[in-house]
Amino acid sequence: MKTSLKKGLSSGVIFGIVFIFLLLIGFINVGSTMIGDLLGNTASGRLPVNNLLTFLAVLGVLTGITARNGLGESQWWQALLGGLVAGLVSGVLAWLAIWLTGTLSLQGSEIQTYLPNMDPADLNYLRFYSTPLAAANTYLLYFVGFSVAGAALVWLLSIKGWFVKCWQACRNGVSNWKGTKDLSDVFKNRWVMLVIFLAVAVALYFLPLAWGSYWNYIMGTVAIYVILGLGLNIIVGYSGQLVLGFGAFFATGAYTFALLTAPTPHGIGLNLWLAVGGSVLVSTLTGLLLGLPILNLRGDYLAIVTLGFGEIIRILIKSDLLTAVTNGPKGVTNVGQPTWFGETFNDVNYMHLLMLLVLVALFIAKRLKDSRTGRAWVAIREDQTVAQATGINTYRSKILALMLGAAFAGLAGALFASRNQFTGPEDFTLMVSINVLCIVIVGGMGSLPGIVLGAFVLKGLPELLRELEDYRLLVFGALLVVMMIVRPEGLWPAPRVKFDKPAEEPMQDLAPEVKQ
Amino acid sequence: MTRAVIEAKHVTKRFGGLMAVDNVDLVVPEHTISSIIGPNGAGKTTLFNCVSGFYVPEEGEILFLGEPINSLPTHKICQRGISRTYQNIRLFGEMTAVENILVGEHTRLKTNWFEAIVHNPRYRTEEQESVERAFELLDYVGLCGLENTPARNLPYGAQRRLEIARALASQPALLLLDEPTAGMNPQETDEMVAFIRDLRDTRKITILLIEHDMRVVMDISDQITVLDYGLKIAEGRPAEIQSNQRVIEAYLGPGAAALSEKFKKKKAHYA
Amino acid sequence: MIKKLRNLKLTPGLILRLVVGLVVLIYLGWRIYQTAFGEGTYGPDTWMRFLIAGLIVGGMYALIAIGYTLVYGTLFMINFAHGEVMMLGTYAGYFALEAFASLPAPTAADPNLNFLNAQPVIALILTFVAGAGVSALMGYLLEKIAYRPLRGAPRLVPLISAIGTSIFLQNAAQLLFGPQRRQYQNPDFLWRGTGWMIPVGGKDVMLTYTGLFSFVLSILLMVGLFILVRRTKLGKSMRAVAENKQAAALMGIDVDSVISKTFIISGILAGSAGVMWGIHNGLFNHYVGFIPGIKAFTAAVLGGIGNIPGAMLGGMLLGLLESLGPALLGLDFQLKDVIAFTILILVLIFRPSGLLGEALSEEKV
Repeated sequence: MKTSLKKGLSSGVIFGIVFIFLLLIGFINVGSTMIGDLLGNTASGRLPVNNLLTFLAVLGVLTGITARNGLGESQWWQALLGGLVAGLVSGVLAWLAIWLTGTLSLQGSEIQTYLPNMDPADLNYLRFYSTPLAAANTYLLYFVGFSVAGAALVWLLSIKGWFVKCWQACRNGVSNWKGTKDLSDVFKNRWVMLVIFLAVAVALYFLPLAWGSYWNYIMGTVAIYVILGLGLNIIVGYSGQLVLGFGAFFATGAYTFALLTAPTPHGIGLNLWLAVGGSVLVSTLTGLLLGLPILNLRGDYLAIVTLGFGEIIRILIKSDLLTAVTNGPKGVTNVGQPTWFGETFNDVNYMHLLMLLVLVALFIAKRLKDSRTGRAWVAIREDQTVAQATGINTYRSKILALMLGAAFAGLAGALFASRNQFTGPEDFTLMVSINVLCIVIVGGMGSLPGIVLGAFVLKGLPELLRELEDYRLLVFGALLVVMMIVRPEGLWPAPRVKFDKPAEEPMQDLAPEVKQ
Repeated sequence: MTRAVIEAKHVTKRFGGLMAVDNVDLVVPEHTISSIIGPNGAGKTTLFNCVSGFYVPEEGEILFLGEPINSLPTHKICQRGISRTYQNIRLFGEMTAVENILVGEHTRLKTNWFEAIVHNPRYRTEEQESVERAFELLDYVGLCGLENTPARNLPYGAQRRLEIARALASQPALLLLDEPTAGMNPQETDEMVAFIRDLRDTRKITILLIEHDMRVVMDISDQITVLDYGLKIAEGRPAEIQSNQRVIEAYLGPGAAALSEKFKKKKAHYA
Repeated sequence: MIKKLRNLKLTPGLILRLVVGLVVLIYLGWRIYQTAFGEGTYGPDTWMRFLIAGLIVGGMYALIAIGYTLVYGTLFMINFAHGEVMMLGTYAGYFALEAFASLPAPTAADPNLNFLNAQPVIALILTFVAGAGVSALMGYLLEKIAYRPLRGAPRLVPLISAIGTSIFLQNAAQLLFGPQRRQYQNPDFLWRGTGWMIPVGGKDVMLTYTGLFSFVLSILLMVGLFILVRRTKLGKSMRAVAENKQAAALMGIDVDSVISKTFIISGILAGSAGVMWGIHNGLFNHYVGFIPGIKAFTAAVLGGIGNIPGAMLGGMLLGLLESLGPALLGLDFQLKDVIAFTILILVLIFRPSGLLGEALSEEKV
């Protein structure tokens, strides 16, 4: 009884506040429009109210589910009570918000100067084009009704137990399937692997041809971020050094490539492949120079110092001091582009090139991870003092990690500048570094498939959800916190390397020696 | 006279005003088991940390096989042939038992990152041999079948043994053990004592250990050094230490020695 | 001394540090010689203006830096979202002032008078209460939602959570209040751009009222905090928690509540600094907390993180260096952030424990 009330109350308050927050940031309109697009319920002129009601219903059901989730089996009246309390509390908060904003907007107050999303037209839609009081009552009703429905849903699932059983059966099935020896042995067969590899290669070759240039652009960005993520993964994921200024290496790579190939401001016009080498080299050296003095700092100090370093690089590129070298805030245009039998690369060629380089980067990252060097990095991440006492030169190892990571970033920078044919200081804000860090963390630190997945989720998905553009960073921030609390190991944690017991030493080798 | 593996002369380490180790001399002869004992806070672990390079002593010199090591960084000391375990086990938790051993072998492996990328023949043979050695070592310490378990999921006793195995993987001449039997039951303790003896006798490793269990110390030590408040108060064979007045006082408080004399006399009297 | 030198481990890092240090010192010496005796670009009045500006901004840095230091002292984590806590305080103060300005309080003499100018002292006090209150609430919620579930996790985890919170709050503020810059509406007696004229070297240098007001207030708040930490029971339990959480809990201290209170106190200081920022500088937007936040962290590190007088000293010093630095080094003023970050890097390289800090023991690392 008491827990039901308490949980209902807290769930109600949380969802009430979430509702008000969504209202104030203008997400309710956007969300409703998206639901409309999804259900094919769009109209020109007056926006259909159904979409808004569907959105509210979803929110209400979530309120009810949260109020009852995790309480185990319960009586029907407990579920009803919890759902009702949650719905009432959140409904009353929503009621207040809608009534207040509606009345204020109708009275012609200056509410929009302070809260820019309180647009009269939007508010009119949120009021279902009716009076504030009537609209607010509808909101209350919806919250109460659907919260109870959500609670009932949870109750039904828990009381019958069939959902749980179904879930368990599913899991057992999966684990049984995973456990089958024959199936995993199939993948060890070289020929099978070769066929799979060829199939993937063919698919990868034809996809860019089928996609069209818009998709090639998005996937190209994803590919560049995969390379960046793999680089930062060496530093953060393997050796455990939190570097927040990774964008600095990206920037040095892009600028080196741009300045070596672009006609202005220097007009060096270097061979492109040499320029790529130059970018990688300059970024690596930057990593070395930055690493030498700071890599024996503690974790969080290192984070801040590298953050500062990233900002220093960006400000310096922009500053009057280096305008002669970097072209200042205007950036560098007409960056060199690769050619193929005399023809400049088009989007499909770029995509193929990027895919190839991603595969190479994955290969290198994988081999590094499984080597003596990679194990030393992980040891440093786990316990630096002990790693050093085990004979690892931790300082040198960390510098090596930073340099190799920076080399990846240099390569990504060169590709970025070449594909965009432009590079400017605002391409390398702190957000770039944080984006890459998010990819590594959300994907799973130290996990190669995780990073590919992370790049798709964080760079690919937002492109698909164009309406969410404004809300992307907000979701990013929330996602980082939630990930750290719920699943700190990432979406796809690094698989553990298994070593097979080596076969017994054959004894014949000894025999001839004995004879002699 | 066998040669000394460790020869520490006038080692002093201060923390602020506290003399953690005060002018201590220590000689560890080759192929022996030497112990350092003393009450809590006597400076035993500090001395260990000086030998393994975690601390640089303010004064004095530490020679390993005749060469000074006290200004070498920790990893160089390990490369020379000193490895250690820790009072509270410090394994690489996320790594499996094999990987822990492979990290332990780090100093004995030669390939660099570039060879790892191209997988040249040298890299492949070295990697294969190191894995073989790791499995042998795990077998030796009795961790057969647990090779691919992450270190943090191993039971306590197995973690202790894995830590020793990791230390052995660097093929040390001197092994420093910080309370190897802490938290073990009598049977496990006996096994550990036999194991340490075996290290000395068959693997020819010199061992320096810190231990609180007097039964263990008196049982296996060839030589015992007693520290109290950073000062060395006694040194010698187990029998000598047992009857040393200052040691008894350090452990039981002033006056305890006299008391124990009295007790002995009484015992003699009744006998 | 000689023995100490002999026992020094001569690592490549150390050699590099020595080289960098020498280069920096030589360059600094040359620049200072140049500015003092060579070129006469700046007159004494300009230097005075830099000095005043440095002290004012230094006071605000110090207030924010104390928040970093307090949290670092108890939890050993960088509260990356602290700048955002300050930003929300700035918004709260702005809305409070707007509300007071639109509240009519007509008198016989002036029928158009509003509450802000009729009762400026009360209005200002309430504005600070609003700013500090919102920031304190934010600090409390921040700890409860984003940090408490992560206590005992590896060190990177709460730091990433803090970065996430920072991004979230910044964008939430942008979405809520819009990306445009807003301007603080000060009461008439604190109007920006008015102040006393101080004659320096034949020219007048203005000491603005807002500047003096901010500086005095920040000093008062710091004194208050110092008394709180040194003299009260809460201060004592805060220090106990900072020293050893388990032991403190065994002594009957409610560790969770002390940590919450630490966040509330740092929120109060950050919020006050935020309101001051608005009153003194006028224009602000949702990025207002980011750069001061990083600068204040730099200040906290400069003074020795975990050390409250260190944070105060560090804040003041950083304010001065930032204001005098570009002129002293003969660099462009757009590079003042570069100077601040370079100082941070140099301090961390040469004296990681900060000016007043003590070397942290291994457990605290």
